[in-house]
Amino acid sequence: MNYFIFIVKAAIEDFKKNKTQTFLTSLGILIGVFSVVILTALGLGLKKYIDDQFAQLGKNSLFIAPGKLISGGSFNAASTFQSIKFDNRDLTKIRKIKGVIEIAPIFSKQVVAKSFKKTEDTTIIFSSEAFFSINGFNIKNGRFFNKSDIDKKSKVVVIGPKIAEKLFGQADLALDQKITASNVNFKIIGVLESKGGGGFGGPDYDNYIFSPYTSGYIFNPQKNFSRIALKFDDINFSVGEIKELIKKEMLKRYDEDSFSIIEPGDILQAVNSIFSVLNMVLVAIASISLLVGGIGIMNIMFVTVTEKTKEIGIRRAIGARKNDILYQFIIESTILSVLGGAMGLGLAFLTTLILQKFFPAYIDVNSVLLALGVSSAIGIFFGVFPAKKASDLSPIEAIRYE
Amino acid sequence: MIKFKNVNKIYKIDKEVVFQALKNINFEIKKGEFVSIIGPSGSGKSTLMHLIGLLDTPTKGEILIEGKNIKNLNDNELSSLRNEFVGFVFQQFNLIAKLTVLENILLPTIYSRKKLDFDPRKKALELIKKFGLSGKENSYPNKISGGQQQRVAIMRALIMQPKLILADEPTGNLDSKTGIEIMNLLKKLNKEEKITIIVVTHEADIASYGKRLIKIKDGEIVDN
Ligand SMILES: Nc1ncnc2c1ncn2[C@@H]1O[C@H](COP(=O)(O)OP(=O)(O)OP(=O)(O)O)[C@@H](O)[C@H]1O
Ligand SMILES: [Mg+2]
Repeated sequence: MNYFIFIVKAAIEDFKKNKTQTFLTSLGILIGVFSVVILTALGLGLKKYIDDQFAQLGKNSLFIAPGKLISGGSFNAASTFQSIKFDNRDLTKIRKIKGVIEIAPIFSKQVVAKSFKKTEDTTIIFSSEAFFSINGFNIKNGRFFNKSDIDKKSKVVVIGPKIAEKLFGQADLALDQKITASNVNFKIIGVLESKGGGGFGGPDYDNYIFSPYTSGYIFNPQKNFSRIALKFDDINFSVGEIKELIKKEMLKRYDEDSFSIIEPGDILQAVNSIFSVLNMVLVAIASISLLVGGIGIMNIMFVTVTEKTKEIGIRRAIGARKNDILYQFIIESTILSVLGGAMGLGLAFLTTLILQKFFPAYIDVNSVLLALGVSSAIGIFFGVFPAKKASDLSPIEAIRYE
Repeated sequence: MIKFKNVNKIYKIDKEVVFQALKNINFEIKKGEFVSIIGPSGSGKSTLMHLIGLLDTPTKGEILIEGKNIKNLNDNELSSLRNEFVGFVFQQFNLIAKLTVLENILLPTIYSRKKLDFDPRKKALELIKKFGLSGKENSYPNKISGGQQQRVAIMRALIMQPKLILADEPTGNLDSKTGIEIMNLLKKLNKEEKITIIVVTHEADIASYGKRLIKIKDGEIVDN
């Protein structure tokens, strides 16, 4: 124990004497650890965010989408091009399937929305009242549109809080106001509660406007839908059974590859697989800076060995073994590296605190352990070569060195 | 205790040129002796000292330390001997600047592999008191005088209770008054603690502290 205290103390004395050099040497590791930890934190935050988003979708919901959107657990990008559209015939058939409780056909349109005050670009989602319950929406002011609004093709909308604020200055002022979307007049009958976040893994519903799908036929004369969402009876039916029933019905009209029946969990898995690959690539790139940092430490350690030749000679003359000298320099480079790692970690913590205000990000125990583990491993690995050089110096050459 | 048999040391200057620093050196030093090795600059005194102190190995010939041929010892065994058997005192003191007086004195003990039969810290503090450096325990070497630094070096040489102290020009960097103090100290250690002492010098009055004189010139012993 005494042995290590002595060696560590001597190393720290050296660092104190060369504060700037020590800091610059650790800087490489600092940057490396910082970027790896931050990227991991963002990756983790993103994953958590996606999980949360999908947690809001009930376990008893399903989507029918055109194309083979998901194959083998990942997104099939090509499917977006060969898409079919669903129509009222599909709706009628699916609604009749045993176990299907509610059904929400969906299509959307980019519009220019005008209030008496302002004009904003936004998206209207045309769907049924079931859309709100399937997606776990809550109303803040007013009401959702209902079956009778759909039957009557009422020109009513429920509006997201952000777009409401943009159009009316304050979300609370939007209720009962009129808006014009692509020259069609709508009345606002409800303002949604915020779903928060937005931007990752799903649409930013706070910025959307929702209207009965029948009212949207003005923009959609073919009466086509790009997606169908549904809720099923999960007490008497399993997901597999329902999927099988829907598939059987759909296969009567479409071939196997032109549609998908998706569980929220499937999307979750696919989104996560994309992000985890992306994150791994980023972390791998960031790791290169750790490598560069390690080489920086090795370089400085070689210089240090030369500077300390006399000291090595003195230590050898009073009985230090080769291994004692070896450990001394490895400990020194490890301290340098861990110092950089700890500073990088500290900086990453602070940055994450700030980032959390805008962005889902969090640091878990694993990334802390990884950062410290990796930086000490780098210190040891890149310290070995200079330390070996130091310990192999002959005592007499070293002590004669001026 | 120490026996040199036909020891030669040849330095390679470059590919073809060599320099013979020691030529057929034979001598024996017994336990408890106080030997002065005197000779002009470049005569090979330091080279000889480094061989006795196991910092270097001879090109030819044999060195026996307490009957053991050093040729048969590996690096770890040589290190242990340097740690436990010999204590070095150098002309330039050779203290480690970033360690305090106390830490410098303790340094050999941390490299010891044997179980010490004394408390290093207690012993070091005793030595500091005995050598008149009380109050300087936590000073750094550059904050004390040359004479004090050399005392610290002697304490460092003594902490492991060695059988032999090697002093290469111990007074070379000191004024004559301080030099005399240091020599008296060594003399006392030889007399009271029975430590074998070898002092290398080129000054006759420093050499006169020894009980035995070995004269060396151009790498050869000219008088023993
Ligand atoms: N590593 C070396 N390579 C080549 N020659 C050396 C080496 N070390 C010493 N010498 C030579 O060997 C000779 C003896 O050197 P040494 O240091 O033993 O002399 P010295 O008697 O201690 O002299 P001084 O009183 O000046 O210290 C000198 O001529 C020196 O130049
Ligand atoms: Mg000399």
